[in-house]
Amino acid sequence: MNYLDCFRALAARRTDEIVITSAGNSSQAWWALTRDSEASFYLDASMSLSSMFASGLALAQPELKVWAFMGDGAFCMNPGMLMVEREMNLPNLVHFLVSNRVYGATSNAALPNFETNDYAAMARAMGLERVFEFRSIEALERDFAQLSAANAPGHTFVVLEVEPFSAAEQKMEQPPFDGPELKFRFGRHIEARTKCTIFGYRL
Amino acid sequence: MHDTSSSNVARDIAQELAGCGVKLVASLPDNWLIDLITTIEEDTRFVHVRVNREESAIGLCSGAYMGALGSAALMGASGFMTVVYAITKINYTYEIPLFLVLTLRGAVGDHHKHHVSNGLYLRAVLEAINMPYLIIESAKDIPAISRCFHHTRIYTRPMAVLLTRDLLAGRAS
Repeated sequence: MNYLDCFRALAARRTDEIVITSAGNSSQAWWALTRDSEASFYLDASMSLSSMFASGLALAQPELKVWAFMGDGAFCMNPGMLMVEREMNLPNLVHFLVSNRVYGATSNAALPNFETNDYAAMARAMGLERVFEFRSIEALERDFAQLSAANAPGHTFVVLEVEPFSAAEQKMEQPPFDGPELKFRFGRHIEARTKCTIFGYRL
Repeated sequence: MHDTSSSNVARDIAQELAGCGVKLVASLPDNWLIDLITTIEEDTRFVHVRVNREESAIGLCSGAYMGALGSAALMGASGFMTVVYAITKINYTYEIPLFLVLTLRGAVGDHHKHHVSNGLYLRAVLEAINMPYLIIESAKDIPAISRCFHHTRIYTRPMAVLLTRDLLAGRAS
């Protein structure tokens, strides 16, 4: 499945989900396709922590539906995160593992054991029950409603098997925000959506 | 006079955390923190999350901040030494507050030789990344914990409190 086509299909089906992306290609792809700078947080400055960041947010604001994107390069650095996700079992969190079998942000260098890693099996072995795996746009479009069902019991883990970025795609723009700007854009959106106060901290 | 038994110290620290709005506590154990972690686990004012590695606690607590949920990350000094990348990347890049509760391993009174490295480098690393910290060494210092938590919100960056062995063992009034 083409990486951008996959993200295009997801973006077309997104309603009001909050999105957290990871370092590298997922940020580039999501920014290119959505130009969203308020309901998406581009956690570029992190490897392997986008789903934990999303979990903290999903726990804090259970009425929000949160999508976390993460490449398999990041995932391989911290697969034990699934133990934490399983224990938290947040029904408003969908963790998309974008599997291209390479370190996409570093010139598509190959991952260790890339030919045989079975991410869905790893998730099931850690007790996750809502595990999906997609290798084609057709399958993703057909079954999307299942994985995005609101208030489905428990946390959802989705493996998207995609092709690595081409040389031309690697040159796509990174989200052009300094960290604090992104924090305030995103945080103001969360405040408006939930009526919570993030930045108005007073002693 | 403070009641300094280890369980009462744990109770007082938990009270301090709850009092300043901490709801989520993400932890990885250190022997010195066991009473505190157990106290928090049993306290319904908190959501306690056992994490697989210390970096996961940094991600969780940072995301919780973006949802306006107060949080604290509990870990040993050795665990902290593994999270410099996550903290400098997430909390410094985006200026996201983070409150860390650490053990002051390797200091006077720690009889474990494998913590000599923490004695040598923990505070040096904190200073190298310009992270403010406060050492909590007696029960009468515990109220400073909430002041440090508040400081992270004003300073919009991380801060750590370092708990000593004597404090956590209930030997420091």
